[in-house]
Amino acid sequence: MKVLFYGRLAESVAAAVEVDAPPGSSVAQLRERLIAEYPQAEQSLGSRRSRACVGDTLVPDDHLLEAANTVEFLPPVSGG
Amino acid sequence: MSVIARLEQQVLDPQRELGELLTQARGDGAVVSFVGIARPESSAGGSVDELLLEHHPVLTLKSLEAIAVEAAERFEVTRVRVVHRCGRVAAGEPIVFAGAASKHRRAAFEAADYLMDRLKTEAVFWKRESGAAGSAWIEPTEADYADRDRWG
Repeated sequence: MKVLFYGRLAESVAAAVEVDAPPGSSVAQLRERLIAEYPQAEQSLGSRRSRACVGDTLVPDDHLLEAANTVEFLPPVSGG
Repeated sequence: MSVIARLEQQVLDPQRELGELLTQARGDGAVVSFVGIARPESSAGGSVDELLLEHHPVLTLKSLEAIAVEAAERFEVTRVRVVHRCGRVAAGEPIVFAGAASKHRRAAFEAADYLMDRLKTEAVFWKRESGAAGSAWIEPTEADYADRDRWG
């Protein structure tokens, strides 16, 4: 499964990584897996203000993922 | 009703944006505009030379459009215009233009205020300040979230 990061997450992890997540994993489980692999990003990845996105749509933590999905993690956003 | 939401990669010219809004609003009674400028100083007091506004290829423009449309639907306004910079912005340069036109002033004031509260916390950008002391990612403060939440 491909995972893309933005902002501070891209800086602390990478812009893109491949993760071996079992089909049917939830976004919450993917978060846990990513935190275990990239502990330096725990604060941001664990924050409820960091949102997951699949197919350009924000998805909740209980959303179930398919192997073909690309998941994007968006740390807290701020314009203006 | 006219809603314009645009992502600007190069230069944001607030005078031109206001000029176009004024021209389009000739039949209205009020225009209110806000211009956000890259501050030369961080909240911790260090000097800032440049602000990087990283954006998402799809979600950023979608977020600007959604916020502008919701402002237009919520208030008695005739026009809403949101233009937001992305990329590298030097300190002192404009980051955002948010404007609204209406028949009577109150709706335009409220729409501009609402636009900025939503943009501060929901526009899909990631901001990083850089200066002599290094660089730091900037995220909304609890006060910013409270400002947004007062609109319900």
